[in-house]
Amino acid sequence: MAHLTRAIPNIFLKVPLNTTVTGVLKRTLSCSPTLSIQAPVSRPENHTKCTLIPGDGVGPELVHCVLEVFKAAQVPVEFETFFLSEVNQAMSAPLEEVEESINRNGICLKGVLATPDYSHTGELETLNMKLRRNLDLYANVVHVKSLPGVKLRHQNIDCVIIREMTEGEYSALEHESVKGVVECLKIVTKRKSQRIAKFAFDYATKNNRKKVTAVHKANIMKLGDGLFLNSCKEIAKLYPKIEFEQIIVDNCTMQIVSNPQQFDVMVTPNLYGNILDNLSSGLVGGAGVVAGASYSSECVVFEPGARHTYAEAVGKNVANPTAMLLASAKMLSHINLQYYGDLIRNAVNRVLKAGKVRTKDLGGQATTQEYIFAIISNLR
Amino acid sequence: MAGTLCARLNKLSSFSGITVPARKVAALSAYDVQHKHPFAKKVTPIPKAKYGGRHAVTMLPGGGIGPELMGYVKEVFRYGGVPVDFETVQIDPKSDSNEDLEYAITSIRRNGVAIKGNIETKSLDTDVISRNVALRNELDLFVNVVHCQSCPGIKARQKDIDIIIIRQNTEGEYAMLEHESVHGVVESMKVVTEENSERLARYAFDYCRLHGRKKVTTVHKANIMKLSDGLFLEVSKRVAKEYPDIQHDAMIIDNTCMQLVANPHQFDVMLTTNLYGSIVSNVICGLLGGAGLLSGRNYGDHYAVFEPGTRNTGTAIAGKNIANPIAMLNASVDMLEHLGHDSHAEVIRTAINKTISEDHIHTPDLGGQATSIDVVQNIIKHVQALSKKCQIVAPPHLMSRHDTT
Repeated sequence: MAHLTRAIPNIFLKVPLNTTVTGVLKRTLSCSPTLSIQAPVSRPENHTKCTLIPGDGVGPELVHCVLEVFKAAQVPVEFETFFLSEVNQAMSAPLEEVEESINRNGICLKGVLATPDYSHTGELETLNMKLRRNLDLYANVVHVKSLPGVKLRHQNIDCVIIREMTEGEYSALEHESVKGVVECLKIVTKRKSQRIAKFAFDYATKNNRKKVTAVHKANIMKLGDGLFLNSCKEIAKLYPKIEFEQIIVDNCTMQIVSNPQQFDVMVTPNLYGNILDNLSSGLVGGAGVVAGASYSSECVVFEPGARHTYAEAVGKNVANPTAMLLASAKMLSHINLQYYGDLIRNAVNRVLKAGKVRTKDLGGQATTQEYIFAIISNLR
Repeated sequence: MAGTLCARLNKLSSFSGITVPARKVAALSAYDVQHKHPFAKKVTPIPKAKYGGRHAVTMLPGGGIGPELMGYVKEVFRYGGVPVDFETVQIDPKSDSNEDLEYAITSIRRNGVAIKGNIETKSLDTDVISRNVALRNELDLFVNVVHCQSCPGIKARQKDIDIIIIRQNTEGEYAMLEHESVHGVVESMKVVTEENSERLARYAFDYCRLHGRKKVTTVHKANIMKLSDGLFLEVSKRVAKEYPDIQHDAMIIDNTCMQLVANPHQFDVMLTTNLYGSIVSNVICGLLGGAGLLSGRNYGDHYAVFEPGTRNTGTAIAGKNIANPIAMLNASVDMLEHLGHDSHAEVIRTAINKTISEDHIHTPDLGGQATSIDVVQNIIKHVQALSKKCQIVAPPHLMSRHDTT
């Protein structure tokens, strides 16, 4: 029992009296996974295997941080590491091997892969896109949540952006039909639109969310985005207990920066999702603090929510490992190691809440190393 | 005069012409709800609820001991590290509206798979239909499979029974078409269709082939109900001809019951209509050790629902910590096998068998002294030990998927 109370982070217990408890915060109070932590969680002795792709830029440093924390928390997970890279092809592991490993393990922790603006080989598809297509990682989930103690323009943001990742603008179908005229095809199919809509509603059902908002631009792309929107409407009929709304993408971006608390779960086609991920990550502290995950029906790849390699910070010991840590905590919850997931998440929250040790992107002076030490000493 | 009569007739026909379809749309009678389509239902495919290897499954705790048993299932799954997320849907037994039920059905449509206890229908209103039956009919779960197998370690009247009961699940006596034609005379309709009988017979014979069974026995009462049970029997005989490798015989229900209690070992697979299946499965469960052991599986073309084998609510022993959790846990194991999580299923099944046969921890219904929680804790102990030993491997389709694409 003592264990149970200890696991509840302070933020949930001390709500300042002068702030009005908004709907979003109420929801956090009622269905926070930390509150439902049950004391004697089984700790399997056998190690779960997980594929690890450090990625480019600061990726390897961040992954090192995760490994440090895992070691300190004695998490029963073993990693199969593959260095996969597009900009550094000579060192890259073959894609097939990586895919085979992810398929076998079912889970993967991945840093960010850098993509060159110009293709040297003439290939239109990036390594990231190939990985997604081959593994059919169709649903990208980014949980944008205000961090405790981090003072920013907006507080109490708690929304989930679910993005279709295998079609739309990212179909890699571009050609120059006449010299000087390039056509880029955006593909929308009913099957995939329904699939992502169902994913979003099932996610909402599972996580006690109340509303799903479809983001589209069907007023201009009447057929393509129209199909997406209609598929969402169709699936919404199966979920009478969840509210369904639609919003046009340009209005959506404005609403997010002015009043982000109104959103709950958002379901979007490929490109809009990418933009919204980055936009809303910016609202809660930047690319270093938001975790994401990409789902296929068989496997999950956990990665930072907004994908930036931060190559200019390599070796400077300043990158923020929060996103990677939260992604790894999500991964642990996914494989029924809820106990360790909560352990890491609570440690991160506690350090941020205390506010003494923070990396530069959150206005602190600490190095990555110091931040990780603070987290490790808060694992309890 | 003629003119007014004509006008009146016109009025009448136009009146009836409008009202009949209007009534159909406005208020669905129990008949409509149950039998909008008496035959195989066409269903538009909905994407599967499986994300990152985790399944979403609808859980209908139902009444009586249902909720406690579901709690045990969740607990065992948690310790076994089973990648299944439950969406719990409560159905208010006293409610007169079918709203909860409809939501439950929608939820099963979305997830494709459900585990359920027995749902009570307490409303005395004749318009409120039995929810268990409505659920099966609406989802077109036309076959119910109960695998009756003796457990070593349980004192029972008969040893080494191994019978599969395959029961028609959506029509027959459970068509719920009853009316009082004249005061004091009630008629109840029993509906048997060729299409459903054939689907069922095919399922039974295919099941035999798949599981290496030798004989199918059709249970009927065609000597009395020559047309309805006659059709069922005739169809099963016709289908049997297409499966020459499997033996087929037929037996009348009253004789079947006698044979079951006297010499149950003669049966292999039993193919029955709805009511007879209910009777036969209860008889055999009685021979094996009661309602708390066996699990039942309901399959349609698109959905699967798992539940305890005999559909008892157990209201009398609810909340007393003496209900036998084995039946529901067996149902959950069936579910895991259906979902393809074979290694998890194996771990839990072994843990259950060890608890019953080796540790002899039995609830009062099996003649033991243990409480429900004792049984569950012992199972959890074994689950923990077993999952330490064996490496949980990914389901085989995961490995092959890469090669095929």
